[in-house]
Amino acid sequence: MARETGLVKQEPQSLVQSDRRTVTPACDIYENKEEVLLVADLPGVTPEALKINLDNDELTLEARRDLASEGALLSAEYRDCDYRRSFVVPSGIDASRIAAELKNGILQLHLPKSEDVKPRAISVRAG
Amino acid sequence: MWSRWNLGWSDFDDMFSTMSQLRTYMDRVFDDTSAGRAWEGRGLSGLGGWPRANLTDTGSHISVTAEVPGLSEKDIKVSLNQDVLTLSGQRPIEAPKGYSTHRQERPSVEFSRSFSLPCRVNPEHAAAAVKNGILTVTLEKAADAMPRQISVKAA
Repeated sequence: MARETGLVKQEPQSLVQSDRRTVTPACDIYENKEEVLLVADLPGVTPEALKINLDNDELTLEARRDLASEGALLSAEYRDCDYRRSFVVPSGIDASRIAAELKNGILQLHLPKSEDVKPRAISVRAG
Repeated sequence: MWSRWNLGWSDFDDMFSTMSQLRTYMDRVFDDTSAGRAWEGRGLSGLGGWPRANLTDTGSHISVTAEVPGLSEKDIKVSLNQDVLTLSGQRPIEAPKGYSTHRQERPSVEFSRSFSLPCRVNPEHAAAAVKNGILTVTLEKAADAMPRQISVKAA
């Protein structure tokens, strides 16, 4: 912090960027009859930097987040990082219809349920 | 009761390695949140509060950036009083209509964080924008706080 103490002024010291960390993003998981919805906080991530992979039943989110930094960093509570998180997708999800959208740093991942696991009413015949 | 007496050597090893894993993890957690505290922020939870913010000095401007996923310009109130910048607003979390909740990790917050700036700024030329969930507030330093060159004359 630049502070004047008489004639001696302390110049702001730049913080050294430490190693890049891998961070687990906070995720919420919701469900309704049609799908499982995963919502994750990924501030600073653009759609190009986000990779979502499904390998057998393991779903992995990976994203790179770089800060646009110009000038001397005086104080940092968050830094450049990689986001990474894996989930096991339960059987009953239709993998071909998984959809993702990233807006305002929030990822919404839709995991639609396969037709055969959707709840259905069984009609009763008088017999 | 018998299980207490059955601690073999391998159990001790496991215990110590778990402890050191825990210690490494705790160090990393504290490292992440307490790096570079050159300035104070009053927050709601934990060491700094929500949202996490950085302060940058670009020479002519002071720039405050914060992680605000899910918020747009209209959700955040940015106010400046002399050399104190305040960010306030709320980021409520609700399950979408018709969905049940299996897991809730994202914090639902109402926040108000104030930052003491390292120098006086010109309130006329202050700008704030939100992009991809990152808020950037750019403040022009007051004229008397700008860095200046002192010319050295040969004696």
